[in-house]
Amino acid sequence: MIRTDARLLEIERKLDDRTPLSFDDGMFLYRFGDLCALGSLANGVRERMHGDRTYFNINFHINATNVCHADCKFCSFARLEPGMPQAYTMSLDQIRGKLAERRDQAVTEVHIVNGLHPGLPWSYYLDTLRVLKAERPEIHLKAYTAVEIHDFATRHGKSYETILRELVDAGLGSLPGGGAEIFADRVRRKICRDKATGDQWLDVHRTAHRLGLRSNCTMLYGTIETLEERVDHMLQLRALQAETGGFQTFIPLSFHPDGNDLGKLPPPTGMDDLRTYAVARLMVDNIPHIKAYWIMLGIKTAQIAQSFGADDIDGTVQEEKIYHMAGADTPQALARVDLVRLIREAGRHAVERDTLYNVLWEDDGAPLPGIRLDSSVPYSAGGKRHLPIAEQPAASVRLQGGAR
Amino acid sequence: MSAPLRVIGVSFLNARPLVAPLQADPPCGPGGEPLFTVTEAMPSACAQALANGECDVALVPVATLLDHPEWEVVPDVAIACRGAVETVVVAAKRPLEALTRILIDDASRSSALLLRVLLAERGLSPVLEIVPHGAGAQRVSGETGALIIGDAAFGLGDRFAHTLDLGAAWFDATGLPMVFAVWAARPGCLGPEHLEALQAAKDRGLRQIETYAREYAARPEATLAESHYATYLRRTIRHGLDAYEREGLVEYLSRARAVLGLDAGGDDDGAHVRFADAGYAPLRRSTGAASLGTCAQILARAQAGERISLREGLRLYDEADVLDLGAVADARRAALHPEGVVTYIVDRNVNYTNVCTARCKFCNFYTPPGGRGGYVLSREVLAEKFRETEALGGVQILLQGGLNPELGLSWYEDLFRWTKANFSLRLHALSPTEVIHLADLEQIPIREVLVRLRAAGMDSLPGGGAELLSDEIRNRISPFKNTTDEWLDVMRQAHMLGMKTTCTMVFGFQETGDHVLTHFDRLRTLQDESLARDNGGCFTAFITWPFQADGTRLKLRDDTSAWRYLRLQALARLYLDNIPNIQVSWPTLGPEIGEVGLRFGANDFGSVMIEENVVSQAGAHFMLTAEQIEHHIRQAGFVPARRNMQYELLGTPEVAVGARA
Repeated sequence: MIRTDARLLEIERKLDDRTPLSFDDGMFLYRFGDLCALGSLANGVRERMHGDRTYFNINFHINATNVCHADCKFCSFARLEPGMPQAYTMSLDQIRGKLAERRDQAVTEVHIVNGLHPGLPWSYYLDTLRVLKAERPEIHLKAYTAVEIHDFATRHGKSYETILRELVDAGLGSLPGGGAEIFADRVRRKICRDKATGDQWLDVHRTAHRLGLRSNCTMLYGTIETLEERVDHMLQLRALQAETGGFQTFIPLSFHPDGNDLGKLPPPTGMDDLRTYAVARLMVDNIPHIKAYWIMLGIKTAQIAQSFGADDIDGTVQEEKIYHMAGADTPQALARVDLVRLIREAGRHAVERDTLYNVLWEDDGAPLPGIRLDSSVPYSAGGKRHLPIAEQPAASVRLQGGAR
Repeated sequence: MSAPLRVIGVSFLNARPLVAPLQADPPCGPGGEPLFTVTEAMPSACAQALANGECDVALVPVATLLDHPEWEVVPDVAIACRGAVETVVVAAKRPLEALTRILIDDASRSSALLLRVLLAERGLSPVLEIVPHGAGAQRVSGETGALIIGDAAFGLGDRFAHTLDLGAAWFDATGLPMVFAVWAARPGCLGPEHLEALQAAKDRGLRQIETYAREYAARPEATLAESHYATYLRRTIRHGLDAYEREGLVEYLSRARAVLGLDAGGDDDGAHVRFADAGYAPLRRSTGAASLGTCAQILARAQAGERISLREGLRLYDEADVLDLGAVADARRAALHPEGVVTYIVDRNVNYTNVCTARCKFCNFYTPPGGRGGYVLSREVLAEKFRETEALGGVQILLQGGLNPELGLSWYEDLFRWTKANFSLRLHALSPTEVIHLADLEQIPIREVLVRLRAAGMDSLPGGGAELLSDEIRNRISPFKNTTDEWLDVMRQAHMLGMKTTCTMVFGFQETGDHVLTHFDRLRTLQDESLARDNGGCFTAFITWPFQADGTRLKLRDDTSAWRYLRLQALARLYLDNIPNIQVSWPTLGPEIGEVGLRFGANDFGSVMIEENVVSQAGAHFMLTAEQIEHHIRQAGFVPARRNMQYELLGTPEVAVGARA
């Protein structure tokens, strides 16, 4: 494809030179009409970093309570007070049971995100990690968003560092990226005024990275934010990453309007999703991975997103509640074979990872039950197979504190 | 050079037009080598020899296909009848109901099985005794009748008080032709040259009917006049195998399986026929031609609006990066539709009946005739649906249904006249498959069906039933439905009448690039032909979508992902350079991919479907209002506008503020 737009050519040159893109570049890309050209640029960066690999992991989610004192407008999950209809809080036994019932499954990670419960003792959160570790010592616990960490610190009068150290001692492996929403104060005041500010969110992650923890980061798009506020959000993440190198993965999250206070907003759109993935890949060039969270995007869009910058599609998520209460109609869990199929159909090479992106399994192209596709067949996204990886992004991550 | 195929033909008079030309003027291959060596035998012996590997090709009774689903059947050639056949007859001194024993001629299993099917339907169970060919007639007495087949059956009506013509009885029971025999071959041995030779032999044979009749009348055993034999060969026996005969064939095989207790039910395919396929001639010719450009060169040419060849299309299919394809398709879309407008239509999909004889394996909508749950919508129900459509601003009814043998042409004419008299709705009605079915049912030409339907109010033809226009695929997924040529011929006839139609492609049947490009090429070729006529008749739009497999009998798995959809749609935009519009198929893919599809060559968002029954039975569940459709169109950077089937805009689209086309 011959690109003729001068501005796009200039951006392409910057990408070739590894020059970070500017705020104006981001705005230009967001508004650029040629979707496929935008995708090609993002795909170029994605393939430079990861070849044709698409990562997945086998994990499950625990949302231990939906009681939450924050009243976020975009949320269909939280029930504000204990005892309200549909409000629940799991006992430690129930939490342990969630893992125990998966004794036969090759789960490598538990993803734990909760409401901001006003009454649970601090020990509940530590014990949550301890009972899971006691049940299965080798499992990785990716638990508690920065918003929760900030809430723990506030309620129990401890510093972020102390909170994080105690959690690590109890078994915490890394932090999930939730709660970032959009950093701009204008937006947070309107949609999530009760929780950590953008600066506080960033500060929790800064602290975590200093302690040697890896973490992820997110952006919630499609509520009331402007495109400028999205690009600004991405640049703030890029700046922190330049400082710490501790983010593994950036996960843009689209807003789902059913069952929450923003239900009048239009539903997410395929075009906006793909643009956002592509711009994210291009703007945030120092975070190794971009994840297309299939449970939110739907399988079809998640497949396309793998050529619009995304190199990760999350895992065989089980028991996801938050998005499903907001109307996501994806199946609750995909079997491993379905994930591999989904990735093969997107013309990619499936790689199973653990939380820290250690490779556990690579698709050898062998026939899988019910799947005709094998790696000898050049498929839809083009005949690309086993592209060389031009640079090793993971190696560029510098951890300042060192793991404890 | 390969050895000639060993062929065994049947010695009956009715097989002469198929077999004699192979003997009189043996077809040769390109190097002058003979293609066949030909001998003759009784029908059942033919099948036996084929099963034993004693020959490569044989004229076999169709019942043997039940035991040998692997055999490849030569398309377009058969021994069949529509109504009385004259040479498959039960002869007796009493009526059928009074017989306690019937002697069965061992020469053909198909006729014997046909008799069992017909007896079972009448609740009769005489003893059936197999006797050597030709021995039955002498033993007819009292309560014993005989099934007499072949030349021995000529003139039996004069000798016996009661005769039952099984061709006529079958037609009475089903309204369908009866296929008795077909050319079958061991798998893999028929090449395109053999298929062409066997089909050409039939064409030559049909021009020699007088000769065969004269030769036969001169035989000592012949008892009738020469003219009788000529009429038998010309009118009674049909030597073609078109959609109507195939309907009869599947009905016969299904009922025969039931009588034999073979109907295991479930996923088991009740009636399977595997047709041999010669492939698409231009594709065969195109191999080994001159050098081919790189993908980038081909894309640059396509972007400049130049026509790409079959082989160039194949290279793009195999090698082009999907985003490059999308970008070029988007550029072509912008060149063809520079206004930045994406259209959609408000119409209602009404499926007037679900009763269908075609039994396509990919369909989860149909009910076979006589099956449970079959329906035909009443005028009251239709009126309600049509009124609702008008109230919602709908301008058109997309009317499609099953191949229901109960509904004749006048039913449709009445329906269309009634619609036009009572509603201001256009009728985008009847896919080619339904038109072919009506022509068969009424025994009139396709053109006449179209002329009459059009006079009654049909405005345009939807492009359904195309699936994949490759007989190799069709023979696998819908062996009893119309062939590629038959489908295209309906569209050709409609275009000749100045009618507008759409065209479609369903993918996900394990098709290859060859199949897809063949499909595109056949549409493009026909469109060239139609546009040259300059009478307004043409394809207005192309729509492709992935096969929806839920609940259907087709267990194959294929890539039906959104990527493949976008890739094929973009390729279609480049290859179908003479079809102006491309619709996204959001009902199967979801509105998000529909939006994205607008940047992969499409310029139309299809329909606000007030109702859809077919793909929704197989797992597609999306509904959108006009407001939502407009939202998605705007998200993709276009101005939404309503249209009719002819792609005329209804009202003025809003000023294109911020449109990024």
